Amino acid sequence: MVTTTPETTGRRAGASAADAHRGFRPRSRHGRRWTRTTAGVVVALVFLAPYLVMLIGSVKRHAEILRIPPTYLPTEWIPSNYLTMWSTPEAPLPYNLASTLIISLCGTVLVLAVALPAAYYTAKHPFPGRAVFLLLVLATQMLQPTVLAPGLFRQFLALGIDDTWLAMILVNAAFNLSFAVWIMHSFFAGLPKEIDEAALVDGASKLQTLRHVTLPLVWPGIVTAIIFTFIACWNEFAASLVILTTAENQPLSVAITKFVGQYDSAWHYVFAVSIVSIVPVVILFALVEKRLVAGLTAGAVK
Amino acid sequence: MSEQNTQVQLPPGRSAPPARRELVRALPWLLPALTLILTIVLFPAAYMVWTSSRDVSQAGVDRGSAGLDNFVALLNFPALGRVFTNTIIWVVGVVLVTLLISLALAQLLNQAFPGRRLVRLAVIVPWAASVVMTSTVFYYALDPFYGVFNQFLVDLGILDAGFGFTRRPVPAFVVSMVVAVFVSLPFTTYTILAGLQTVPDDIVEAARMDGAGPGRIYRRIVLPILRPAIAVAVLINIINVFNSLPILRTMTGSIPGYDADTTTTLIFKYVQQDRQVDLASALSVVNFLIVLAVIGIYLAALRPMRDE
Amino acid sequence: MKRFLRWSAAFVIASLTLTACGFGGGDNASGNSRKLSLLVPSYSNGTKALWEGIIADFQAKHSDITVNLEIQSWDNINDVIRTKVQAKATPDILNIDAFSGFASDDLLYPAADVVSPDTLADFQDSFAKNASIDGTMYGLPMIASARTLFYNQELLDKAGVTKPPATWQELYDAAQKIKNLNSGVYGYGMPLGSEEAQAETSIWIFGNGGSWHEGDKITVDNPRNVEAVQFMKRMIDAGLTQPDPGASDRTPMLDVFIQGKIAMAVGLPPTVGQIAQKNPQLKYGTAPIPSKDGQPMTLGVADHLMAFKNDGSKQEAVKAFLDYFFSAEVYRKFVDTEGFLPTTKSGAQALKDKKEIASFLEVLPGARFYPSTNPRWAATQGALQGQIGQIGQGKQPKAVLAGIQAKADA
Repeated sequence: MVTTTPETTGRRAGASAADAHRGFRPRSRHGRRWTRTTAGVVVALVFLAPYLVMLIGSVKRHAEILRIPPTYLPTEWIPSNYLTMWSTPEAPLPYNLASTLIISLCGTVLVLAVALPAAYYTAKHPFPGRAVFLLLVLATQMLQPTVLAPGLFRQFLALGIDDTWLAMILVNAAFNLSFAVWIMHSFFAGLPKEIDEAALVDGASKLQTLRHVTLPLVWPGIVTAIIFTFIACWNEFAASLVILTTAENQPLSVAITKFVGQYDSAWHYVFAVSIVSIVPVVILFALVEKRLVAGLTAGAVK
Repeated sequence: MSEQNTQVQLPPGRSAPPARRELVRALPWLLPALTLILTIVLFPAAYMVWTSSRDVSQAGVDRGSAGLDNFVALLNFPALGRVFTNTIIWVVGVVLVTLLISLALAQLLNQAFPGRRLVRLAVIVPWAASVVMTSTVFYYALDPFYGVFNQFLVDLGILDAGFGFTRRPVPAFVVSMVVAVFVSLPFTTYTILAGLQTVPDDIVEAARMDGAGPGRIYRRIVLPILRPAIAVAVLINIINVFNSLPILRTMTGSIPGYDADTTTTLIFKYVQQDRQVDLASALSVVNFLIVLAVIGIYLAALRPMRDE
Repeated sequence: MKRFLRWSAAFVIASLTLTACGFGGGDNASGNSRKLSLLVPSYSNGTKALWEGIIADFQAKHSDITVNLEIQSWDNINDVIRTKVQAKATPDILNIDAFSGFASDDLLYPAADVVSPDTLADFQDSFAKNASIDGTMYGLPMIASARTLFYNQELLDKAGVTKPPATWQELYDAAQKIKNLNSGVYGYGMPLGSEEAQAETSIWIFGNGGSWHEGDKITVDNPRNVEAVQFMKRMIDAGLTQPDPGASDRTPMLDVFIQGKIAMAVGLPPTVGQIAQKNPQLKYGTAPIPSKDGQPMTLGVADHLMAFKNDGSKQEAVKAFLDYFFSAEVYRKFVDTEGFLPTTKSGAQALKDKKEIASFLEVLPGARFYPSTNPRWAATQGALQGQIGQIGQGKQPKAVLAGIQAKADA
């Protein structure tokens, strides 16, 4: 009854719809594909434009970045900026990259471990105080990081874990919990009740149902939550700035500000570091994208 | 666990209140999340509220209680009206435009076409980049002198000379809204795209067989299924956009006065320019209550929590 | 129930892994009287290496003392230090622009307690005075900068301006001639954006004999200041400045000057090095800043080192470090490398022949300073940065200054 290979099913269903379509209007299909591809190219260009500026800036010589009038392409290409940036006097970037990775990965795992049960239960089981719980979780997102940072610093100082990764993992997890809960909650809630009931009738326990039936069906939601959390951790700034004082412990988001000087800024490095910090996230995304897109299809629930 | 409960059934009407039992059952699932929030978030939040009632020196030393003085000072702030108006324009404008564009974009990305995977990856990039960096590069590219976007507009003949997009309150505010939409699109689009995967093909198929047009299918079948995804995306966007600091700070940071400020950037200016942490905390408390109210109304109206 | 236990176990294992993640961080130095923490801003891309060198040499001489360095960008250092003050976790030594806020909260050692009498006597008198509140010196003047007028020789030649302007009227006329060239260049660079608007405004009001204070009272809104700001507005309204001066920050404005698109702008010592680096072909000169009556005048700014009392146990170590920093050779090297002006007598002597800073050293004796020992100055400066640019958006000088005055009095 329940198949866990929605991918193939989905593709087949999609194909049959397209076939049916062709039956009605044989010509337009090709034209539509063209329009779509053109639209896709335009969309991609718009979304990439600022990052192209960044990319081009990152291979310009320092002096050329602020030239008037500006140059679209470098008159002299300096790809070695990407090598020299790792050993600048301003910031120990290899450490900063490692810090960012560790904090973000651990933070995301923690969020998932904590948010998944809460999201599942609140979506599937009404209980008194459910709305209060969800609102409380959400309220954590409504606070201003700038103003919270002093309190956070003070708290971790008292706990003796200021300037540690652990502190930042906890901060990131606590403050990103809410969106993860909400995103996954909405996906769990969107599942037809019949799935759970069918599984339960079959004698599966609640946890078995969750693991073998429900989880595979809400993959898109989980993946969205993972990406959302990971990116938020990856780019967190306000708390890291005050909690992590050792240059080697700081994440890239803080390290990058070291290239902005009082009278002059190393824009080529600022841009190069930005590009480098985008890449891992895009790779992560490329890896999970299929999961996100495959997801649940009606074919699986017949 | 619950179904394995072997508790002796008491006669109806005399059992322990079922509400409490349900709550106890729910706790193990919620406890990890609650623990994390209570241990990490509670103190700084309380500290913020505490600071809003204190007199804190510029250096950061607590000089004693200020009662409600900070809140009174806030109410007497002359530009408050403009700042609130800006905030409303900012949140409503950015969230609405983001949603509309995302719906269209998700539709496009859900269609099959060559290179779709690459386009999807391109759309994710503004999300992967930190908002600070995206704002910074926009600011740089829009500079009237050495900005590439400005130069591009000049070369196309649209402008005679570079225009100070980021130098005047209204254009800078509008440009900031564009950037805010830009960085909000990936998440919103993907949430909707993920939602689109839950639209059963056979139902759409059946509707099409029945002769329903694409518009009708979208309104009657697709949108209702997307509802939870949209509700959550909008919810998260409202909060994020409301609390967004880096875009306006970067794009309008050099502009004097408060004509391009929202409550969030005003908090920042209280801290950065006026060195008044106490006043900033008071405004944060107000800010928090406003978001809470907005979200409360939103949830009450849309009920995305699905109380079945 | 068994399954629940299994899930719980998985959760516990996950949390243990996470906890393990947390042990990567460094440990925080506190309590030990031989461990110093030092918080400094980044002046240039060489700042970190410079401090690390100084610390290494110092530790080689004082093997029992360790110094922990924390560097922050200028954008962030105020947030960082305020957070530390709020949490009562201040560094032992801080390098920042203004010290008076910390001093008036009684957080700092008097200078005499943390440097030897010799070091103390070596500070130039004007800087020492500017670092004192009610006769007690708290800040240790560390580096100074002064402003001077930079002009683009080629543009002035082209416009037929024979000598750099000395008075406001000459500046006005020179800028008008540049404007008449109609070649997409601007006469005078006036940065009234939030970055450093207080500096540009100070230059103008000091050039009119105005002042930001009278005794203990901050006086933003006074006739001389209003007159000066009115003249600024005249320049703006006549189109003699770059576009949108009210929202132009100093650094990008100077970049435009360096690229040869602005004829005259007030610059500071690091500007010399930036021109050499970014546009060495630029033919430029420097001259005293024009004032209303041609009387030479400049704005002097000093950054300070200061020592926090904390629990009072580290005074000796702090003293050892600060005396080492201000010892002739170490200090000379620091100031020389960063390209600023020295604040000590011996430093001035050692650097008097350095040609990049000669024109600044010349005007330094007549320099006027912000009233930075006034506890209300920080708020005033913030208000200036955030408000004064509005004269570039059509607001009247008098009203803008009154608004700033209100913030200063708040």
